[in-house]
Amino acid sequence: MMPWLEAFHRPTTIAEALRLMKRGGRRARFVAGATDLLVEADPAARILVDVGRLGLAYIKPHRGGWRIGAATTMAMLEQSEGMRAFAGGILARAAAASGSIQIRNRATAGGNLANASPAADLAPPLLVLDAQVVIAGQKGKRRLPLADFFKGVCQTALKGDLLMEIILPPLNRAAGRRGGERSAWSFQKLGRVESDIAIVNAAAGVGVDAGGRCRWARIAVGAVAPTPLRIAAAESALQGRPLDSESIALACETVCREARPITDLRASVDYRRQMSGVLVRRALEECLAGIEPPRH
Amino acid sequence: MRRDKPKTPERGRKGLSRRDFFRGAGVAVPTGLLASQAKAPKAAKAPAGAAPMLGPGRVPITLRINGKVEKLELEPRVTLLDAMRNYLDITGAKKVCDRGTCGTCTVIMGGDAVYACQVLAIEAQGKAITTIEGLNAGEQLHPMSQAFVNNDAQQCGYCTPGFVVACKAFLDKHPNPTREQIRRGLGGNLCRCGTYTGIERAVLEAAKAVKGGSAHA
Repeated sequence: MMPWLEAFHRPTTIAEALRLMKRGGRRARFVAGATDLLVEADPAARILVDVGRLGLAYIKPHRGGWRIGAATTMAMLEQSEGMRAFAGGILARAAAASGSIQIRNRATAGGNLANASPAADLAPPLLVLDAQVVIAGQKGKRRLPLADFFKGVCQTALKGDLLMEIILPPLNRAAGRRGGERSAWSFQKLGRVESDIAIVNAAAGVGVDAGGRCRWARIAVGAVAPTPLRIAAAESALQGRPLDSESIALACETVCREARPITDLRASVDYRRQMSGVLVRRALEECLAGIEPPRH
Repeated sequence: MRRDKPKTPERGRKGLSRRDFFRGAGVAVPTGLLASQAKAPKAAKAPAGAAPMLGPGRVPITLRINGKVEKLELEPRVTLLDAMRNYLDITGAKKVCDRGTCGTCTVIMGGDAVYACQVLAIEAQGKAITTIEGLNAGEQLHPMSQAFVNNDAQQCGYCTPGFVVACKAFLDKHPNPTREQIRRGLGGNLCRCGTYTGIERAVLEAAKAVKGGSAHA
């Protein structure tokens, strides 16, 4: 595999990693689990800079939210008690669906985002959680919303810089939570089999007031546009309405309209468009079931 | 059946290695990088096996496979699978898809099932690696392998070494598995003969055997 590789670096500091990357220019790639890299086998990638020794594999509580190191593996995410409990465990669920166990033991959260596949399974849940990413560059660190990180198919705002960390803000702040509010979250994925690459994936979160009215909604879909997308129009379709089958249907219609899928060997444009609505419906229905008061 | 070891790494039967080809194609740039990096104080201070700049030529790589320390000199591009099959004659892990899909190359690395075709040998250092060859105690089959025999869990047998290793890693983490957990947990291995129901039974049987302490699990 990749017989053209010329050099492999194992830096132990972020400064050194950045320097090596800069010197390698277009020929250099950061590598973590290598599960995408060795399969894509891009002949332009001649120099690899391993990020496995930079101390970036961690999941830490942070001001009511979480900090996730870029080198955290999918297996770590799915097994983390904290991630399984946070926001209905949608990030742990997405990680658990992101490939076979052999892949998940190697693939990393940072790699999933930096590779910028439109079908990245972590992207929709992170988008609805209002995640931010911390990027280390020559001029220091910068922080930006994940929504601004994706620039196109396999294109990101990184431009040779290093994705260091993913920050999950506390839920109450992310959602503008107020008294009496109940919230629920969901992740949905459609693949030929679950561990396969997503034909469509989706995540949703909703908060409803005591009267069952939707205060806020967050909806994101993947694999139906050049980048994973938050669908703001569908979110506002729910806001202020009772969360029921009628409002959910309206939101799903909006999702189908906003989706800009392509046809590839896995699915056609029409199928993807229709399934984006179906997956969001499943997600919102799961949310609805999750916030219903317990029946006696 | 042991094959002759290649006289020099990377040299195929035709005499011209891929490395020769790429060198011939004028890939000279990294040599300069290598020289400058070797002088850097960081490289000198780094612990063994952690030098920051490696390749394109062969570098010392130490692997711990089935309890045995193997010292090799390999190019950084060589995968763990190729290192085992081409340089160590550890051929239990099979090379089929070579792109992280089929599972025939599954090994246990640091307690986790991984595809050996998706791990560079240089990255596999410092972790205990177990292949199908390392499961048995002498002539006695590991309970997982024995359960495959008992349950007719193989037909052509080509996926079997990877499957048995994946099952062992799965059982280590799920000692009391449900059928649903087995199906999900072993989704990373393919059997084109379709022996999945036998494998499912084998995992359930091995789970009982391991708990019964009937063998060296």
